[in-house]
Amino acid sequence: MPTIQPTLGKYLVGMVASLLLSLSGGWLILAPFALGYQPYGADWVSQTTNNFATGMPVAAFALVAFAFFFTALLGTLRAAGVLAAGKQPEQAQAALQPATGLALVPAPAQSELDRTLSTLAAALAADLSARRQAGSAQVSEQSIEQSVSRREA
Amino acid sequence: MSVGNALRRLVPPGSLVLFLLFLTGIWLTISPFAMTTQPSGQPWSASTINTVTIGAVLIVVSLLGIVVYMTLALRDLLRKAQARQQADQETASS
Repeated sequence: MPTIQPTLGKYLVGMVASLLLSLSGGWLILAPFALGYQPYGADWVSQTTNNFATGMPVAAFALVAFAFFFTALLGTLRAAGVLAAGKQPEQAQAALQPATGLALVPAPAQSELDRTLSTLAAALAADLSARRQAGSAQVSEQSIEQSVSRREA
Repeated sequence: MSVGNALRRLVPPGSLVLFLLFLTGIWLTISPFAMTTQPSGQPWSASTINTVTIGAVLIVVSLLGIVVYMTLALRDLLRKAQARQQADQETASS
């Protein structure tokens, strides 16, 4: 099956349009002062109020639209495998580590350490049980010998 | 792919915001006359020229953004559908 690569141009078009609209909103806010139809120090005229009240939402919503298109672009790049799907385990652990400056053991080494410790613990447990068995056998032999010697006496 | 899913691909949230800005552009274009800050029969003042120009820019840019996005997204959908159809035919023939 041939693989279809989605075009990224649509997201770029949306981002460029959003940026242009955001700049237009910024200009609407500045225009009454830049073009001089709002006298300095005087109460705002109705044109200024209208331009300001329209320019602020235009700039804000255009930035929101930019964020939407940018998020969609990132999602497409992740789906195409161009960007990593998420944080690597080592990076995630580094992000979770407290900023103490101490070098903590990384995740793979920690699991190896766990494995070694569990093997060592199992070996120690086997050794202990073998010693107990040997000790109980010696005790029983000694008790038998004592009883035999008592009978002989 | 369902119709709702296809529509969501053609009209993403960003395009909905662009449509809001399109409506804002319409308001900006008519606002000097609706608010009677531009006297009828008089030459346009600086504020009227500025407001109408920015309104037109908003209308054109937002509409272009919506239409171009929709066109490119529709092209992607068609390519995907064609590729799927071709793959189905290949599996049916083999």
